[in-house]
Amino acid sequence: MNITVGITDILLTSPLIALFLFSLIPLTIKVLRGNKEQNPAATLTIALIGLSVAAGLMVIFAGSDKTAFNNQLLFDGLTLWASLIAIMAAAGGMVMMYENPSTMGKQFSELIFLAMSSVLGMIILVAAVNLLTVFIGLELMSLSLYLMIAMSNEQKLSKEAAIKYFVLGSFASAIFLYGVSFIFGSTGSVNITDFMQSAATLVKTSKLFLFGTVFIILGYCFKISIAPFHAWTPDVYQGAPTPITSFMATAVKVVSFAAFMRVIATQPLLGSQNLFDVMQWLAVITMTVGNVAAIMQSNLKRTLAYSSISHSGYLLVGVITAGISQNSAYSATSVLIYLFTYSLMTMGAFAIISLMEKSETTIINTDDLAGFSKNQPVLALGLSICLLSMAGLPPTLGFFGKFYLFSAAVSEGLIWLALWGVINSVISVYYYLRPIVVMYMRPGDADVANNSWHATTFLAVLLALLILVVGIFSGPLFEMIEKSLS
Amino acid sequence: MENSNILSILLFLPIVFAVIISFWPQKSTIKHLALGFSLIEFLASLTLLQRFDSSSAALQMTEKFSWIERFGISYFIGIDGISLMLILLTTFLTPIIILGAWKSIEERVKEFLICLFVLQTAMMGSFLAMDAILFYVFWELSLIPMYFIVGVWGGARRIYATLKFFIYTMAGSVLMLLAIIFIMRLTPEVTGGNISASLLDFYKLKIPFIAGDFFTAQTLLFFTFALAFAIKVPLFPVHTWLPDAHVEAPTPGSVVLAGVMLKMGTYCYLRWVIPLFPEASEHYAWIFIALGVIGIVYGALVAMIQPDIKKLVAYSSVSHMGYVILGIFVLNQYGVNGALYQMLNHGISTGALFLLIGMIYERTHSREIVKYGGLASVMPHYTIVFVIVTMSSIAVPMTNGFIGEFLILMGAFQYSIITAAAAVTGVVLGAAYMLWMVKRVFFGPKGEIVLASEKDKTHALHDLSKREWAVMIPMIVMIFWMGLFPNHFMNYAKTSVDHLLANKNNYTLEVK
Repeated sequence: MNITVGITDILLTSPLIALFLFSLIPLTIKVLRGNKEQNPAATLTIALIGLSVAAGLMVIFAGSDKTAFNNQLLFDGLTLWASLIAIMAAAGGMVMMYENPSTMGKQFSELIFLAMSSVLGMIILVAAVNLLTVFIGLELMSLSLYLMIAMSNEQKLSKEAAIKYFVLGSFASAIFLYGVSFIFGSTGSVNITDFMQSAATLVKTSKLFLFGTVFIILGYCFKISIAPFHAWTPDVYQGAPTPITSFMATAVKVVSFAAFMRVIATQPLLGSQNLFDVMQWLAVITMTVGNVAAIMQSNLKRTLAYSSISHSGYLLVGVITAGISQNSAYSATSVLIYLFTYSLMTMGAFAIISLMEKSETTIINTDDLAGFSKNQPVLALGLSICLLSMAGLPPTLGFFGKFYLFSAAVSEGLIWLALWGVINSVISVYYYLRPIVVMYMRPGDADVANNSWHATTFLAVLLALLILVVGIFSGPLFEMIEKSLS
Repeated sequence: MENSNILSILLFLPIVFAVIISFWPQKSTIKHLALGFSLIEFLASLTLLQRFDSSSAALQMTEKFSWIERFGISYFIGIDGISLMLILLTTFLTPIIILGAWKSIEERVKEFLICLFVLQTAMMGSFLAMDAILFYVFWELSLIPMYFIVGVWGGARRIYATLKFFIYTMAGSVLMLLAIIFIMRLTPEVTGGNISASLLDFYKLKIPFIAGDFFTAQTLLFFTFALAFAIKVPLFPVHTWLPDAHVEAPTPGSVVLAGVMLKMGTYCYLRWVIPLFPEASEHYAWIFIALGVIGIVYGALVAMIQPDIKKLVAYSSVSHMGYVILGIFVLNQYGVNGALYQMLNHGISTGALFLLIGMIYERTHSREIVKYGGLASVMPHYTIVFVIVTMSSIAVPMTNGFIGEFLILMGAFQYSIITAAAAVTGVVLGAAYMLWMVKRVFFGPKGEIVLASEKDKTHALHDLSKREWAVMIPMIVMIFWMGLFPNHFMNYAKTSVDHLLANKNNYTLEVK
């Protein structure tokens, strides 16, 4: 094997390098200042510049279907778009971290460093085509995240969440790695591109390969909280500081789904009917469990956690579609658009929750929102838009996202999955409308947010506007993504 | 004036109004401003009458440009005889609603007016849209403001009522969305390779139909669409959200709901269901005729025993909408023309009834029939107006209601005598419950409210104010105008209806 590192490798990985360098700046400054925290606004600015530079370099160099470092990383359309969405989601999360009581303060530089490393891991995860490199990306992303979850000093739930996520996450990673070893055993290779064409036949002929595939799928299912591997999600989402929850629910999920799609796109589902059936059932169960459990929640963050599980169910429908279709660019685009949609609305909702939190120990229940529309009309409207979009009501982006997703499913003949999906969105209306009911229709005097305008407020308003506007003009976006994927 | 954008202007003007209102600083003048806006919109919509060519069945004043090209979705709107009158009904009722809500909406006036204007756009959009996805967007958009109107300004059980309304309607429409996607997938057959969401392309499709086999494409799609619209109408047995929503909604909410929103359902039968699924519509028409007739009789019987005036009128809506469905599905000229006319009638007369109930409720805060009695002695003008509207509602000749019901019953006779006979009982029952209610409220021994009013001179019931006259006079004028000169209104729709019935099986619309 010819192992040389050329200039193309460096150029292709320049977003990663930039991210790494920028992540070091706040830490270095802190060390040079004698372990004294510098102005957090400056830290945030550096981080956001770093993310923008990475995104810019990504746009310039990725999307050309080139590989770097001897087929380790593939910079195609999927990498490009998933990374961009993840970077956007990470930036939103960092703005929230800057102002949330649980995450601001003494350790802000470290937190930003961890978040940036996590983003670095995310891009590796989605770009990697070698399963071992995938594993490195997965772990880099997750290890940073475990620490970030435990960041709150006073909130005990945060430590509990971190331990829970760490133990279960490690277990899932181990299963993933086990699967990789099976794949290596059966094919002698751990590079996805090597069995790109042959996965469908391999799952038929080799039991070992089938097991390997199943284990890898299980590892991903854990990360994207597919039922029945979702049990950690509500606890961790609730326990983690809200900005971290947002970061986790959006950026992490986006790249995990994209990486998952890369594996599924080798089309093992076409080779094994059983696997195909099981995946469909997983989608059905996930949608149902997420929505039904969300109805029974009183804590707002927990409701959103279950709602995020149900969105994973919808997305899994899209992933399955991408895994069986001949023209997978089309289905993959619908998944990416939905991931984008999902990130915007989830971030918007968490940004508003983050604004409501006055101290590290604040717990916000749906009933606390009574009167919110009078005290905070802008935020109440913003939250309503996010929730209505999650429910998939036009003219919000959520509707168009669902439309693309289900119309891809229908075109591949997965009508029953699409049917189940739309029935579920009706169920979900009940709990998405409940906060709106409380905010607008119950008398009360919600004293949950301060009145001045923060960066997070601007973020929330911006996201709500995007949700309203982007949907209507989503056609060109769809075509652009589809073109870069095919 | 060939290429004017009059429809787009009419469609989005209310949104512009809503935006202006949301930035309007003065609280005291906001209602005047909104009233002025809605009058401008109404006057602008009257120009449609002059532009409209009633001798042509073509789709007129169309505007089309590509929206989401990848899926063949376009911004495509147009108007024909079937939608023209409903657009005018919408723009006519909005100023009346704002004037009627002058006193009943005191809190959060600005938000209310924004909801109302957004709702107006959404409703007009569902009437005008000629693209399936555009239609769906407007159709679902109409839920959101209505949800807020009932939920924020409604009565005691408003949250239950508004959630029920929302979930019922959405359950029907998401299935319709799937059906739309499914049909879009079929369109390459007729467009030569490109997927399309245009209704005109949908019309060209011949969706396979096998009589008696339920699991064929056309039958399944037919029932999916029909269910979505039946919930909106609402047709028995999916009507249960309506009485709740009507009773809990504030007066203006009830008027919009009865006046325009219910018509979205019946209109869509004519625009979507019958032309798209002609064989299935004919084959399964009996189901809808039967449900319509059941709705007529059931609604009337339930209305009869209601102790609450508003609930009584709400059930009378179920009964009246049963007529409309009956008229549509007998699929002959009398029936369909009558159904279209009855949609307008119901908008006017039931809308007027809700406004009148709102007026008395503002004074007494009670809608229970038993508490009234002898009201005619204290409020003679109110009584006269109420009785006129009642006459229209029970279809006394010379009022608008008569024309509609008469035509529908004529159509039903052509279809089958048994159906007509069953439907006619509804007319009798309708007269019974309305007149009985009028007797108990306005005449007879004086009830506790009237007695209290006579005792306590300071809180005495006062008769109609000038504002209330201004609300009611247009309604009364319309009742008689439509009752005496039906051709003034019916001529606009006639060509389109004839065209629909004559070419049901290969329906197309020319674009003008």
